[in-house]
Amino acid sequence: MTDFMLFLPELFFILGALLFFIFSLRKTPNPAGYHRWAVVLAAAGLLVTVASSHQEGMLFFNCYRVDLFSQVFKVLMALGTIWVIFSSGELKGIDTRQHAEYYFLIFVCTLAMMMLVSSVELLTIYVSIELSSYSLYLLVPMRRGEERYFECGIKYFMIGVTASGLMLFGISLLFGVGHTTYVPQLIKVLPTVISQPAAIVGLVLALAGFFFKLAVFPFHIWAPDVYQGACNQVTTYIATVSKMAAAAMIIRFAGISGGASPAMIKLLIVLSIASMTFGNLVALIQKDIKRLLAYSSIAHAGYILIGILTLNSQGYAAAMYYAAAYLIMNYSVFMVIMKVADDGHNLQIKELAGLHKRSPLLAMTLMLGLFGLAGIPPTAGFTGKFLVFAAALGKGYLYLVIIGMVNATISLYYYLIVFKAAYLLKPVKEYPPVRVDFWTQFMSFALVIMSIYLGVFPDRFLSLTEAAARSLF
Amino acid sequence: MNSLSTYLIISALLFSLGLLGILQRRNLIGMLISVELLLNAANLNFMAYNRFLAPDPVVGQVITLFVMGLAAAEAAIGLSIILALYRKMHSINIEAAQKMKG
Repeated sequence: MTDFMLFLPELFFILGALLFFIFSLRKTPNPAGYHRWAVVLAAAGLLVTVASSHQEGMLFFNCYRVDLFSQVFKVLMALGTIWVIFSSGELKGIDTRQHAEYYFLIFVCTLAMMMLVSSVELLTIYVSIELSSYSLYLLVPMRRGEERYFECGIKYFMIGVTASGLMLFGISLLFGVGHTTYVPQLIKVLPTVISQPAAIVGLVLALAGFFFKLAVFPFHIWAPDVYQGACNQVTTYIATVSKMAAAAMIIRFAGISGGASPAMIKLLIVLSIASMTFGNLVALIQKDIKRLLAYSSIAHAGYILIGILTLNSQGYAAAMYYAAAYLIMNYSVFMVIMKVADDGHNLQIKELAGLHKRSPLLAMTLMLGLFGLAGIPPTAGFTGKFLVFAAALGKGYLYLVIIGMVNATISLYYYLIVFKAAYLLKPVKEYPPVRVDFWTQFMSFALVIMSIYLGVFPDRFLSLTEAAARSLF
Repeated sequence: MNSLSTYLIISALLFSLGLLGILQRRNLIGMLISVELLLNAANLNFMAYNRFLAPDPVVGQVITLFVMGLAAAEAAIGLSIILALYRKMHSINIEAAQKMKG
């Protein structure tokens, strides 16, 4: 019975997925009804996840560990899922016949990511990451109409399967040097054999699969096309929820080496610098706001990596804090995009012109989100960057912090371009009015308050992430 | 001949061929086959390590079975996306799908 309780959040999402599978078999679609069902189920899923957040235990022959680390990430992912589903009220970007499948795949993907953060056995990790990727491979090309965006589906698929092939090869090498696929045992064995080339190659290749999900430098090529080509809600899901899972798994995997390998730390530093610099520089010239956010997400993956590559619990806690802050501020920006472009088209930056007159509340949410992403106090984004840089300084990576600061300054430029469009530019033509219902207003206020509260009073959440980071070891 | 290094060399060759195929092939089906080569290289590694280094318990063989199943699912998804692409673009050449830039 207790085992059953440990697995409750996942069971709940399985239930949601099953329900939408049955809905998808019906001949006459009922989009409004599906949306109500999805909101209710996701809200209940969030409540269940929060309620089981303090559970601990092992499941399935010790392959599956429920601890504070995994539960914190599960709550964040359930939160992101309900936000995305909440914004899917008018899913204009997807054919009405496919709405049930859309919700089905969102539930399956969240389930897979929840299983991913709890897995402590390489096979379970591989199966869950594939399950979540397969759902996303199908969600990305689901967009209606737009012929020219269809190619992003095949690009995402090809880069994804290549990354997972590299990851599997890496896992096989880890099995070869460690003689086990059980992560807690690998943590003990690997530092003693890390000097072998096979061990370090295996670990780096195994990380490739997660780098793909987080869009870190050599595996970032999919991000701009997929962000631009997928429908707005799917992009939001990829940009928020799926990043959480990737960050969690990189934290868990980077710890395997036990900090005994300077080569690996050097590699992570190089990847982090390359991601930050590349993402920020290319974002400067973007016109399509989703494409801009894709390059900004590559840069943010670099900042998260700074926290992780310190390989101590302070850095992991900072990276977790940063991931949570990123979820909030990124969703703020995406919610505004989805509301302003509620017919599902791709929003250009110039279309935001005069937003502060059309909808002052959305303009404020956008401003707070952008300030957070740029790292301006008093938002959570500033505190997150501060914590990450402080953790890196504690380890003596001064040059890394300086490069990070320079990058944060560069990024300010393109976030301010979007800000300028919303507040200072006059619209060249009349845009349709933005409809803001009660729940959107509520969400806007909630996001603004969360972003500022986390930024000004980070202590409670930070102590939670620190406890979670300690439960890793 | 019946030694670990033989199998490891074969799997490394398979892996390199697969990677080369993905980078160099222009036909989507060809790329999909190259990805299967990558997965099979990993499978061969698992079997060889299982046979020579860690025979008990048979973790390597179990993983290989799982990977075979997942590879089939992956091929199904990939082929369905390729089919949909063919209906829209009348080509399965990757160069037909390179209009997004910037």
